[in-house]
Amino acid sequence: MVNIAVLAKISLNLNLLKIESNGKINTAESPLAISEYDKNALEEALRIREKFGGKVICISVLTWGPVNKKLQDAERIMRETLALGVDEAHLVVDDYFDSCSPLETSLAIASVLRKLGNFDLYLCGESSMDVSSAQIPARIASILDIPFITYVAKIRIEENKIFFHRELPNGVQIIEAQPPLVVSVTGEINQPRLPTLKQILQSKNKPLIKYTLKDLQIETKAGKLNQWMEVRPVIRKNIIYEGSKLEEIAQDLINNLIQEGVLKI
Amino acid sequence: MTSNIIVFSEDSKIINDALHVAYSLSEKTGNLIALTNSDENAEEYFRNFDEVYVTKKDLMPDQWASLLRKVFLEKNANYVIAPHTVNNNDILSFLSAKEGMHMVSNALSFQEKGDYYVFSRQVIGGRGISYIEISKNEKIALTVPLKVYPKINLNKSPLVKEITEIPNSKINFAGFEERKRSGVNIENADIVIGVGRGFKNKEDLKLAQELADAINGVVGCSRPIAADYGWLPNDLWIGISSKIIKPKLYIAVGISGAPQHVSGIMDSKVIVAINKDKNASIFKYADYGVVADLYQFLPTLTKKIKEMKK
Repeated sequence: MVNIAVLAKISLNLNLLKIESNGKINTAESPLAISEYDKNALEEALRIREKFGGKVICISVLTWGPVNKKLQDAERIMRETLALGVDEAHLVVDDYFDSCSPLETSLAIASVLRKLGNFDLYLCGESSMDVSSAQIPARIASILDIPFITYVAKIRIEENKIFFHRELPNGVQIIEAQPPLVVSVTGEINQPRLPTLKQILQSKNKPLIKYTLKDLQIETKAGKLNQWMEVRPVIRKNIIYEGSKLEEIAQDLINNLIQEGVLKI
Repeated sequence: MTSNIIVFSEDSKIINDALHVAYSLSEKTGNLIALTNSDENAEEYFRNFDEVYVTKKDLMPDQWASLLRKVFLEKNANYVIAPHTVNNNDILSFLSAKEGMHMVSNALSFQEKGDYYVFSRQVIGGRGISYIEISKNEKIALTVPLKVYPKINLNKSPLVKEITEIPNSKINFAGFEERKRSGVNIENADIVIGVGRGFKNKEDLKLAQELADAINGVVGCSRPIAADYGWLPNDLWIGISSKIIKPKLYIAVGISGAPQHVSGIMDSKVIVAINKDKNASIFKYADYGVVADLYQFLPTLTKKIKEMKK
């Protein structure tokens, strides 16, 4: 039996960002999506459960408010995790967490985790696709006082030992460690499944438990930070060639690149 | 407010990449204290600090994290700054949680705004910049990208102390599989051809190499080609968690444009994308996009260039 808590981020949907004329990203009007590598964390949790049994829960904090505009979208994403096979979903929704920092997010996750008891593995993606600070795994491990192993591209369970293959820029580091552990996974670890129609229907009967700030014990001396996001003023020409006349396209492309001064022939 | 600043890196070779930011935030008066490892050239890296805590041992991240916390508390430091690497970012996150501090990962720039510092960092896969205001009175941790800030030389005479008490690690090192290196310095190339999952076989990468040879470029790749398939060495992997490049010309071939790759190419002068999927997000970042099968278009392009050379 291996009990697993998956820490999934409800990210901004990068394909549907609402951008204002001054370049600022209007997070309040931008739709949400589950963060890319957290899908891999979910998949890995489900695969471990299929082999060894146990429970898989999913925890998320809605960090893009306001809650009244985003709740439905956030609940839809949590239902998706239930449809994939998660046993219970736990969602923190409170305007306090709107555009918050990893400091507050990790305190909220840890507070929910404390209510739920101990798990063997705490799995999440290596970083979120919107903010990519990659702080959550080590922060959660720090608060729970357990070890962390990040950027894991393979988990190998052998008898009483678990091996983690960390994908680092210069090679693969192999770590052996005993639970409880916080583990972040890369996109290479697996190919996430899609839910079946039956699972989608069944997910409506599974528990989705919501928390607000007053349900959690969060103490921090650090103030909330003021932060905002802008789209980088990088303007690309976006000249697109289509069609079957490849020779002509190639010639035109070469001419343009020569004119730009980036290609010499 | 000036006080002690801890500059941390598990690898001392890159510790000076964090120096410019540390020196600026110290308002040029606070003590700069390094915590890092040591090798034969370490003395040279240490010249910029007032005090240096070193160990010659290879430590696990949790061991570094407890040493860092000890030094941070003992020195009553205000800032902890590290060059951004996977492990350094983890170690600072661990400390930040223990001390209830905010942290800015991969801070690209910073400026003063009254009683605040405003830090910037890349978000949404390099397409956006996030600005974060933090009061100067707040204790914070920062990681900063390598090779971004100016080099400085402070020529100090540091007090070097070897760490004698190393805490135990709760995890065990069980091996390292080194990746072959190409030896190509992709960061300095004027023309880079990036190959991605659009290539069906390792042998097919020669189509990209032939183009590279014709235009004096080098071949790099997206993450799956190096990390997943092992078709190219890891030092050719372009992306936020590996090499960040800014060539004059970047040609993305069979690359879909995942945020983690795009972040590594955003500062290229001209970007060309070749992909048969018209909806591939790489086209959004391209100056010139060619919607075509790379297996047909690459040979055509290479042939044309060779003809023009004659």
